[in-house]
Amino acid sequence: MTRDELKQKVKHESSMRRVESNIILKIHDTWNVCCEEFRRIFHDPGVIVLFFVAVIAYPLLYNVLYYKNALTEVPVAVVDMDHSTESRKFIHDYHATSEVEVTHMCMSMAEAEDLLKHGVVRGILYIPSDFNNNLASGLKTATLSLFCDMSSFLYMKNVYLGANKVMLQDMYDIQIQRYEAMNMDKELSWAIVQASPYEENVMFVESGGYGHFLIPCVLVLILHQTLIFGISMLTGTAAQENREVFILPGRRRRYSTFRILIGRGLAYFIIYMAMASYTVILVPRLFGLPQVGQVGDILKWMVPFLISTIYFGILLSSFMKERETGMVMLMPSSLIFLFMSGVSWPVLSMPEAWQWVGSFVPYTWGVHSFLHLNSMGATLDTTSYEYIMMWVLSIAYFTASCIVYLLRARRYEKRRLHEQYGEDLTTMERRELDELIHSQEEAEIREMEASLLQAFQSAKKHITRAPDDDAQEDIDTRFDD
Amino acid sequence: MNFKEIFSTIFRVAKREMKIMYYKPLYFYSTIIVFFVSCIFFLSLLHEGATEDMPIAVVDLDQTSISRRLVHELNSTQGVQCDFRCATFEEARIAMQQGEVYAILVIPKHFYSEMLDFKRPTLTFYTNMAYTLAGTTAYKQLLSFANMVSGAFQREVLRKKGLPDQLIMQRIQPITVDGHMLANPTSNYAVYLCSILLPGILGLIVLIITIYTLGMELKWKTSRELMAEAKGNIILALGGKFLPHTILYCMMGISLNLLLFRILQFPMMGDLWTVNVAVVCLVLAMQAMGIVIVGLLPVLRDAISIGALYGMMGFSCSGFTFPVTGMLPAFRGLVNIFPLRHYFRIYSNEALMGNPFVDSLPIFIYLVIFMILPLGVMIRLRNAFINQNYPLK
Repeated sequence: MTRDELKQKVKHESSMRRVESNIILKIHDTWNVCCEEFRRIFHDPGVIVLFFVAVIAYPLLYNVLYYKNALTEVPVAVVDMDHSTESRKFIHDYHATSEVEVTHMCMSMAEAEDLLKHGVVRGILYIPSDFNNNLASGLKTATLSLFCDMSSFLYMKNVYLGANKVMLQDMYDIQIQRYEAMNMDKELSWAIVQASPYEENVMFVESGGYGHFLIPCVLVLILHQTLIFGISMLTGTAAQENREVFILPGRRRRYSTFRILIGRGLAYFIIYMAMASYTVILVPRLFGLPQVGQVGDILKWMVPFLISTIYFGILLSSFMKERETGMVMLMPSSLIFLFMSGVSWPVLSMPEAWQWVGSFVPYTWGVHSFLHLNSMGATLDTTSYEYIMMWVLSIAYFTASCIVYLLRARRYEKRRLHEQYGEDLTTMERRELDELIHSQEEAEIREMEASLLQAFQSAKKHITRAPDDDAQEDIDTRFDD
Repeated sequence: MNFKEIFSTIFRVAKREMKIMYYKPLYFYSTIIVFFVSCIFFLSLLHEGATEDMPIAVVDLDQTSISRRLVHELNSTQGVQCDFRCATFEEARIAMQQGEVYAILVIPKHFYSEMLDFKRPTLTFYTNMAYTLAGTTAYKQLLSFANMVSGAFQREVLRKKGLPDQLIMQRIQPITVDGHMLANPTSNYAVYLCSILLPGILGLIVLIITIYTLGMELKWKTSRELMAEAKGNIILALGGKFLPHTILYCMMGISLNLLLFRILQFPMMGDLWTVNVAVVCLVLAMQAMGIVIVGLLPVLRDAISIGALYGMMGFSCSGFTFPVTGMLPAFRGLVNIFPLRHYFRIYSNEALMGNPFVDSLPIFIYLVIFMILPLGVMIRLRNAFINQNYPLK
């Protein structure tokens, strides 16, 4: 043992003894657990990929993927059997909408259908030959037909919305013309045609684009899932290497559950406060996503969201015996959690059982609360229900993890006592014997520490007296004694 | 080596693999159980098929019998449910920010009397697009409601003038649009999402399990034993190893398709067996990608994380939620590295469009290319299996 190592050891032991307060000792333990967890995280490339690479790269990837946000100018084909001014005007207006682009004019329906079936166009507008006649005669309603590709509902939305817009405008024009022909003035005609005009306001996500809807949900999901996978990877690794994660290393005490859980949680929490700030505050700014919420509120949102997710992850992972189990078993859960939260398919259209199950997942409350704060400009007061639910889950999962860890630690302790002291004693006797031996051991350790310190001090004197090569040898021999 | 020997070798390796699968319950849970749960989840979640009765808030500042009747009328429509009658807009806005309602309708003061005076009072509605699907449903319903109000007024005016009802209809609605949604006439969400999401989940499971099984051989240093069983031939080793897996996943994929298209009667314009072949190709392509990932990175701990990132990306890139044409041009080529994208194209070609097999053939070639890719990493993988010179954990 070198001089420095010895010095450090003695310093450490004496500092440990100096700390007499139990609470400070416990905080020290907690901090040690936290540091140990940090060390494990940074020594594990698999976890680094999840905690850092995925959390940094995924938001960028999704933003680039949905950079255009909304779908515009969907190609459509038009089959005009009428060839009248009215039909040409309709086609022209349809083409002018931002939703669609008329790319093909077809002579027959068969031709247009062929284009649709091969994905060249995503919709067909069919104008029958009696279109203008019906409009002019005023006896029959003129009917237009739309055909659309259902492979993505966004195609359908655009093809329909564009046609509806044009149809309404055309309808009003025709009606106004007719009333004007009956010698009514323009204002009165409008008052009859559209007795109550409407004003439509898209609130919160003004663009109404798919990207601006999906990305905030995905950002929260990334935090949630990487945390759970990462934690189950770390816990699984520990279980696999037969390291006991349920008790403090080198300690015999069973009741170290709090220290372990708080210490581990703290490590994840510190890392994820930083990662979440990047994901949900910086990324939306970088890409101009809707963000009307206060940064302070979003920071406050992170706290219960991360805590509940961390202890949800710790609880799940405590049942995993292998490093990869979490990943292999929970992979499809990302999609399930996303749909179960009710951001896409509305909560009220869900079977009640799934609403119930969903309320146990931190993501459900986290994503709603985040949307309210971030996209919809709510304050924490407004979204207090979801916020409180996140705290409830945090406490519930922390308590549940404590119970599981406590039970595991007890089982481990029991097994150890059993192995150490054999069959012929009762549990109580084993424990008493253990206490006795332990107190003896402790006394021995204390004695050893004292002698060590003594040795060190005399060695120090020796060194100051004669700083030569023999000093090192001297210390070594004394230490061996 | 003659055929007989090849077969017996493959059979021996497959037998060894089946023994591993039998003694490790993880295989059973993470394939059959997880997939079964996912199927149950998505099919029951979307069983209604369409969003109905979205809660909206109504701010009725008019408070006349007519405005109340209009609200009642709106309430009875399929799309929305007027759960919140608010006195002020502020109240409604807070309900919307709390996610209680997806839209707000404001009926202005003196609405009815102004309408009678031809003053054209304005109906205002606000929709929440932070929840796209619910917001759009409410928006569509409110739009048709606003048009209905104007139409009803015009009808009354024309009636007073003594026009016959048949002509009035034409007056109010000179043009209609008649929609034909190909293959999915009710725009059923279950049909739209489950047909791709569930095969996608199967693909994801296949990818992760493939990486896992291969990685486990390296991790527990059993790879030399495997190579010995396969007489040192890496292709036979992999072939035998994945034979039981492939059979299992193909059966899962085909029974999924039978469930969707035969039992649940999802639309199928083309040939079901082409889609079944596609699902088999999807399984093989995903296995191939799993082998490629392990081949490039023969460390289980890293390979499985990378595989997860790649697998999840496939859902967004397949283009069934957000079409590929709406993505940046640079990304449009990139989506081709995900087998699910090609499966989706075959599915839409067959089930939705009913195109002949010839049209799907070029897409099948893409999937076959995926299956050839592992040949590139064979030597690397063999060396890793024999030398076991990568970090383990």
